[in-house]
This record gives sequence, C-alpha cells and structure tokens, in this order.
Amino acid sequence: MAVTAFQEIILFLRGLSRVVFVGSKAFYGWMSFLTIFVLLGVWAYLFQWREGLYVTNMRDQVSWGFYISNFTFLVGVAAAAVLLIIPAYLYSFKAIKKIVVFGEFLAVSAILAALLFIGADFGRPERFWHAIPGLGTLNFPSSVLAWDMIVLNGYLCLNLFISLYVGYYHYYGKEPKKAILLPFILLSIPWAAGLHTVTAFVYNGLAARPFWNASILAPRFLASAFCSGPALMIIIFQVLRKLTDFRIENKAIAKLAEMIAYAMAINLFLLGAEIFKEYYSDTHHLSPLRYLYQGLHGHNRLVPWIWTATAFNIIAFLLFLTPRTRNNLLTLNIGCALVFIGVWIEKGMGLIIPGFIPDTLGEIYEYMPSRFEVMISAGIWSFGAMLYTMFVRAAIALDTGRLRHPDAPPVVHEEEKGPRARDIMSTRVIAVRPETSIEEVSKLLVSHRISGLPVVDGDGKIIGVLSESDIIFREIHHEPHLVEKLGDMVLPRNLRASDRTGSTAGEIMTSPPLTAQEETPLKELVQIITERKIKRIVVVDKDARPVGVVSRIDIVKALEHISA
Amino acid sequence: MENKVSRRDFLRLSAVGLGASVLSGCSNGLLGDDLFRTKFQEMSPNQVKEVLKRLEEKYSGKYGTQFSVTATPAKENVLFGYGLDLSRCIGCRRCVHACVKENNPSRETQIQWIRDLRMKKGVLDLEKAEHYYSPEQVPEEGHYYIPVQCQQCENPPCVKVCPVKATWKEPDGIVVVDYDWCIGCRTCMAACPYRARKFNWKEPVIPKDEINPQTHYLGNRPRMRGVVEKCTFCIQRTREGRYPACVEACPVGARKFGNLLDPKSEIRYVIENFRVFRLKEELNTEPKFYYFFSMGA
Repeated sequence: MAVTAFQEIILFLRGLSRVVFVGSKAFYGWMSFLTIFVLLGVWAYLFQWREGLYVTNMRDQVSWGFYISNFTFLVGVAAAAVLLIIPAYLYSFKAIKKIVVFGEFLAVSAILAALLFIGADFGRPERFWHAIPGLGTLNFPSSVLAWDMIVLNGYLCLNLFISLYVGYYHYYGKEPKKAILLPFILLSIPWAAGLHTVTAFVYNGLAARPFWNASILAPRFLASAFCSGPALMIIIFQVLRKLTDFRIENKAIAKLAEMIAYAMAINLFLLGAEIFKEYYSDTHHLSPLRYLYQGLHGHNRLVPWIWTATAFNIIAFLLFLTPRTRNNLLTLNIGCALVFIGVWIEKGMGLIIPGFIPDTLGEIYEYMPSRFEVMISAGIWSFGAMLYTMFVRAAIALDTGRLRHPDAPPVVHEEEKGPRARDIMSTRVIAVRPETSIEEVSKLLVSHRISGLPVVDGDGKIIGVLSESDIIFREIHHEPHLVEKLGDMVLPRNLRASDRTGSTAGEIMTSPPLTAQEETPLKELVQIITERKIKRIVVVDKDARPVGVVSRIDIVKALEHISA
Repeated sequence: MENKVSRRDFLRLSAVGLGASVLSGCSNGLLGDDLFRTKFQEMSPNQVKEVLKRLEEKYSGKYGTQFSVTATPAKENVLFGYGLDLSRCIGCRRCVHACVKENNPSRETQIQWIRDLRMKKGVLDLEKAEHYYSPEQVPEEGHYYIPVQCQQCENPPCVKVCPVKATWKEPDGIVVVDYDWCIGCRTCMAACPYRARKFNWKEPVIPKDEINPQTHYLGNRPRMRGVVEKCTFCIQRTREGRYPACVEACPVGARKFGNLLDPKSEIRYVIENFRVFRLKEELNTEPKFYYFFSMGA
C-alpha cells in the first residue's frame, strides 16, 4: 500500500516536472530573465544581511520604505482572488469559474512574495520564530501585526489547499467534491476581505501617523485591490491564451474589466472624499497629504509620482467605463497597465512614505529607495513571477489533460458537451457470426431495412462489419469498369483495392471494424463518417460488444434537433 | 524544579536542533550565539543569572574592560516620573551627550535618545522646530528649546503593536526592550508619537575608551545590528537609587526626576506647584514626562 502511494507520488512528480520545467525557447528565455533578477536580488540581500539595513535609504525618520510599500501592494493583489471567486461560485458565472484557479495561484504567489518583503524588511529575520505561537510569543490579540501574520498565513494555506485539492481531482479526472470544496471557497471570500482589512489596520491603528489614522484607509485598500489584482489577471490571461493551449473566453475578460471600472470609481470617490476632508478642514493632518500632492516646505520628491498615479488611474477608469474601449483588446491592455502602475504607486510609496513625512517631531526626511532596495525588490518580484509561471504551467496541464493520471478518464471540454453516440444511436443491433452465409445476411439487411451489420465472435465481441457495399463489391470485383463507376458512390476507399471473395460473412467483412464509444461526441461521429465515407458506425461498450449503431440518418436527426 | 522541560521549551529545543544544524554552517559571527534562547521575561532566576554571566564575559572580552550586567528588578511602590522645566532649558545639549556617554549607543550611526528642538518664541508647532541648530552660543535670542525623549507612556502605543512582546512596560513604569527578542520590524517606531525609538541600521560601533561597563540587561548593555533601542530613564542608575545621567548633567537644573507615588518626591512637587503639560496629550498615551515652566521668560 505504502509502496503504491509512493509510486503514485513519483509518477505525479515526474509528470509535474515534465509540464513545469520543459518548455519552449520563450519559456526558457523568460525563466532565465527572471533568474538573473533573482540572483541579483540574492546578492544584494546577502550584502544587506552583512551590513544591516543601513544599505537602504530608510532611517529613523522614515523607518518603513520600499519593502513595506511592495508588501502592501502585493497583499492587495492576493486579495483579488476573491473577485474571481465571488461571481464564479455565488452566481456560477461559468466563463470565470474556469479561471478561478489561476486567481488562487496568483494569490499564493503574491502572498509568498509579500512574506519575502517582510523578511527583507526585518532587522533580525532569523528571529522570525519569535512570532510562532508555541515557540515564541506572538502578541495576539494586542498587536495588529500579529493578526496580520495569522491572516496572511491562513490565507496562504486556504488558497494552497483549494488549488491543490482542485488540482488533485483534475489529475485523477474527477469532479472535485462540492461538499468539501464549497465551505473552503466560501470561507476564502470573507478571509480575503479580512486579510486586506487587517493589513490596512496595521497602519490605520497608529494614532501617531495622521495620514494613516483615517477610517477611510481600509475601504480604500479594498477598492484599490479590486483594481490592481484583476488588471494583472487580465494581462496574464491574454499572455496565457497566446502562448499556451489554454482557452479563455473574451466575455470573461470583459467581465473583469467591467468590475475594475466599478472598483476604480469607488477608489477615486474615496480618494476625493479624503482630499476634501483634509484640504477643507486644513489642519495639521493635511501636511502629509500636502507633501504628497504639492510638496511641503520645498520638499516635493513624491509629487511627480503621485500625479502620475492619479492620471493613470483616471485614464484607466475612463477606458474601462466605456464599453467600446473596454471591449477593444488594445485599449483594454493599456488600461490594465495604467491601473497596475497607478495602484502600485498609490498603494505603495504613495501610502507608506507620507505616513512618515513630516515625522512625529516635524522633521522632513525625503526618502527614495536605494540601489539595494530596488535590487532586492526586483529579485522578490521576479521570484514571485517565476513561482507563478510554474504554478500556471501545472494548472494548464491539469486543465487540458496533459498532466493526468494514466488511469484517469479522458478530458471532456465544456465545448464538447452536447449529444453523444449514446444519445442518438439506435439500440436495436442485429449481429451475425462470421460463418453466416452471404445469402442469409442479404435477407437480414433487406428485411430489417438496414445497410450493414456487425459481425461478432462467440463472446459477442465485434470482429468486423459487413455492409451492402461489401456484398456489392463481392459481385462486381472481377469487372473493373463497374468498380470504377460505382466506386466513388458506394464503396469505401480502403475496400476497392482489395480482392475478397467467399461465401460467408467472415470472409468478406471489413476488419478490423471502425467503431465508436458510447461517450464519443456527435462532432467526432460526423467527422468519422464523412472522412471514411461510411454509412453507419457501430457503437461498442468497454468489452467491444456492439451496443448500438449510429447511421447517417441518426446524425441528420440529431443535427436537426440541435438547430431547432 | 530547575531542570523541568516545559512543552514550549521542548518545542523550542526541537526547532533549535533543526534550525541550528541548518544554520550553523553559514552563521558564524553573523547570527551570534543568542539565536535560540528564551525570552527574558520567561527566564527562571537561574537562567537570568547564567545569561548575565555569559553577557558579562562576552562584553568584557569585546571591549577589554570588566563589565557588569545586572537585571535589578523594579522596586515596589515606585512609578518613575520626569519633569522638564522649559523656562530654564538653554538648549546646550549637555543632556544629549551625557546620555550618549552613559547608555552606549552606536557612535558611528550617532544614535541619540534625546533630541533637542529649537522653537521660535510664541510657537509650539513641532513642524516649525529646528532639529539641527548649531549656534556659537546658547541660548539664542528669541528662541526656546524642547528636549524630547521617551515619554515613558502609561498607555504606550509602541508596546501594544509589537508582534512578539519584545517590548513592555515594567512595574515602575519604564518601557523597555529585550534586544535579544526584538525582530527589528520597526512597527513600534511607526507607532511612537515622540520619535523616541531608534533603530540600529548597522552594527553598533563604540570605541573601547568610551564604553560604559556598568550596565543593565534592559538598559544600556551593548546592542546589536537590526534591533530597536530607546531611553530607559537610565534604568541601570535609577533602580539603584541614582538620578538619570541627563538629570545630573543639566547645568541649569531644568531636569527633575522622582517617584510619582511618593508625595515628598521632586516630581510630585513639580506637578503640584507648577502648571505642567504633556506632549500630544490628545493621543491618550498618558506620558509620565511632564513639561513645565517654573518662571516667566
């Protein structure tokens, strides 16, 4: 038993490594490109590890910077998985349902990258275990950061479980059990919202920082996350569609774009509400906002950044609001890129840095990330992208059936649903044994008004098909001019060249016979019958016993039924 | 029983074994030998003794002088409070330098636990403060000075946010940091409204001839890269009945210190006889650091 399980795992891992690590030149190029950045990031981090966080541009005045900015943004991207889950499972919007697993893998990759950003920011990352309950002393429930650690890791586990569970069932060609899956999926929806809310609360709860200490912070976090995450998904889906055999419908993409428009409207509205409150009341709480948008006492390094973000967000909002530009792939992609960059600035540097400027004693220390911070961050982003690439390759292989257990039933795609041989065949099967005489067969054909029948052995297994064509050919095969004349009309191509004579069914039947399974879709039946120029196809069960016949007239009836 | 192994210790030991074998190869000198240890507050008296002894040996070796590392606990019925007379302060920064000399902060990154702000007379807006004033002579015409250090809040926002309980308020009201437990996330720095917390952005450097070997575990013992530190009201002095270094150094007697629970203390006299105020009282941090004016300008 254990050996079998072990072998199963080896089998799976071999299949997995084949679909994950073997690919086209473009794939290797992409992975090498990312590897370079990952290595540069590792190198920069080793330097930071040796020298301390002094190699960053953070100081006591601005004690969080680029790492925490990217962390915050990535948590937003991770929360976007909900956006795909809600319509898929609450409203069973089928087109989106197919792509939910990609959203979940995106969440997993984004959370892992976010955790790496936290690790890069810690002064003593090797002491992370101080936060593990049981080993260390997690300050729960007092510290919001402790909450955030729990929620982040919980979200990671939840999404990993759901995607691995679905993947496992796909691998064995089964439908995931709804009773098990649904509770976890339903849990992950509020969890994603909670994740982002708690992350907002880490900043929101600090009364020392008026820029963050506004109740609008958490709603703004959610609204902007609902923009950046789906924008990234839209771009990723198109790349997938182009580079792989994965199919995603345009209507799913358009639906996502529409959602971004609504989320962006809310995001811009909340921003406007905040700007009004601060500027109109014009208290000391305005200083950070003024630093961000106008500059303060001659310090204005963030001003060009935030106006770029604002312009990008507004343009993207208009592009997604208008159906014409939303449905045009070019303008749609421009909008996605704008949203992604816009929110990255607004939720990253634009959110974290002004919290510290001016600092709590009124000093202004202007911050821009150092070379090391940029390199380490690029490394973490690249690592996340690498991880996601591999996840996606596995997910696609599972979906298209390239990664599948050998004993699993064949993949059935949504589009191939519809009538199958089982649904349209006539189940009245008249079969003969090979020793039956031709005369007897001819009588059977005439009396039952059929044009052919299967020939079976003693076990009832099909060994050939005998049709009127075979009988006609037997009569005329020695007269080449008749064969020539009738050939194209009635005779299957493969028969004409042969020279079969005899007086029993076994001697003149076509063997091996062309058969179909009960599961064979109508589309495939049409293809076989037209390509092979036959008039009927025998449908057999697993043991090759005839269970029905699909004739041309059955197909015509089925097609007529569909078009009606 | 001293040798009893609790569940938490057992878990920790297993993790230690696993982690140590992974890390030992690459960690020499970088991680230090304090990676896997117990949090200070959970140590038994014997464990504390052992740790203090080990630290004394380590620091004595490093700085070439006999070190004393104590862990004197808070006395009962003591709650330390501080008074700062803004009408007397001349902005000479002698307190800043005395503090540096006493508390062993890194000289290289110039960590200072006290920050003196120069204000224009008639203005109390911190955004208009000058942090880097450097005149020939103090006090300067038309200015007054606000020294700021840890306000030892009774309701400290920094303690609340720490994810690993590496910082806490002692029974005598001093907010301390266990440097060996701090993970360096700097959330406490973001939470502090007084910029009282300083971070060791790189390995601290203190010349051997400037080191103060009389230390307290929760106070002025040498720190390491990547952890937060702060004013402790000179815990190594005040728990032994002495004044903080800044109080002793002040040439104009602007700094007052004492037990808030003792009606006859200096700080109680200040509170009862002068109009005092606390910085950013609207944030409800309840500082035990009182600013006051003993005389007119």
